[in-house]
Amino acid sequence: MAHQAHAYHMVDPSPWPLTGAIAALLMTSGLAIWFHFHSTVLMTLGLILLLLTMYQWWRDIIREGTFQGHHTPPVQKGLRYGMILFITSEVFFFLGFFWAFYHSSLAPTPELGGCWPPTGITPLDPFEVPLLNTAVLLASGVTVTWAHHSIMEGERKQAIQSLTLTILLGLYFTALQATEYYEAPFTIADGVYGSTFFVATGFHGLHVIIGSTFLAVCLLRQVQYHFTSEHHFGFEAAAWYWHFVDVVWLFLYVSIYWWGS
Amino acid sequence: MYYKVSGVTGKLTGATSFFGAVMSAGLKATVPSQAPAMIFAVPTKVVSETGSVAHYMGINKVPELQKIFQKTDGAPVHLKRGVMDKMLYRTTMGLTIGGTLYCLMALYIAAQPRKPQ
Repeated sequence: MAHQAHAYHMVDPSPWPLTGAIAALLMTSGLAIWFHFHSTVLMTLGLILLLLTMYQWWRDIIREGTFQGHHTPPVQKGLRYGMILFITSEVFFFLGFFWAFYHSSLAPTPELGGCWPPTGITPLDPFEVPLLNTAVLLASGVTVTWAHHSIMEGERKQAIQSLTLTILLGLYFTALQATEYYEAPFTIADGVYGSTFFVATGFHGLHVIIGSTFLAVCLLRQVQYHFTSEHHFGFEAAAWYWHFVDVVWLFLYVSIYWWGS
Repeated sequence: MYYKVSGVTGKLTGATSFFGAVMSAGLKATVPSQAPAMIFAVPTKVVSETGSVAHYMGINKVPELQKIFQKTDGAPVHLKRGVMDKMLYRTTMGLTIGGTLYCLMALYIAAQPRKPQ
């Protein structure tokens, strides 16, 4: 039986990078085909392939770590670096949208009426639903920390309860934001105000959905005894991502909802 | 605070007065003996021995899964669980290859010039 003389993980050959790349090809070409020829078949195929790839790739990582023991301390360190670098790249992604917002709002053009919010735009009251949303996300930051401490202390029931609460708060935020979108007196087509508002908050909402999904997977894994009090990096990665989503919202709230109103 | 050896537990405990500490110990030099073993009212049981413990939301199947995934059958991790893995892989690969061909065809057709009106 062959044994490795090092602590690193030499991954088995995997088809998922190829299927993921093809999924990206199909989604992007599919978007173009949808725009010009009104057919969504190619794009839908790409989306299905993306979902299959994500499911099987991450399932394999769980198998390699939890069931095969490949996630030794040096390997885990690499995973930590990876998650931090990914979150950093997402920070830069949002920085771009904040740049766009401040570019337009700090020096409003005559076409907008020389003021911000532009003439004709009635912004949302920052002290109504947006403030509730802020409270919801801050509370979810507390519950996810509670979940982490519960896992570290081996408190199975509390970990499951606090993680469930975190996810429910995330879903509540999403539902509230959806109703805000529906009820808003302005749309994405309402000049640069509409564009910056809906693109920035829209991408944030997408990240809330992604974060909630990540936490839900962690909940399933916690129920299935995958996490130990010493080793639960999947959960830590989800918690870091969730705190990032929370911080982005705080910047959005202060800049776009509050200062921008 | 003074200290004495308790007559009940055989362990070191506090005594509030000098006389209390001295009188219970006696004035003879004794080598402290081993304290008697503590006996609880009900002996503690190991969790696995209790059949009636309700496992909170399911039992731990991880050790069983670890055995499955550590079998030295040479299978890569994405096919390690057998038939289900193979079916899902084949479906995904089928969609990948089929999708690529469909995509190339769609892009070729899209690149053909339309007749001007």
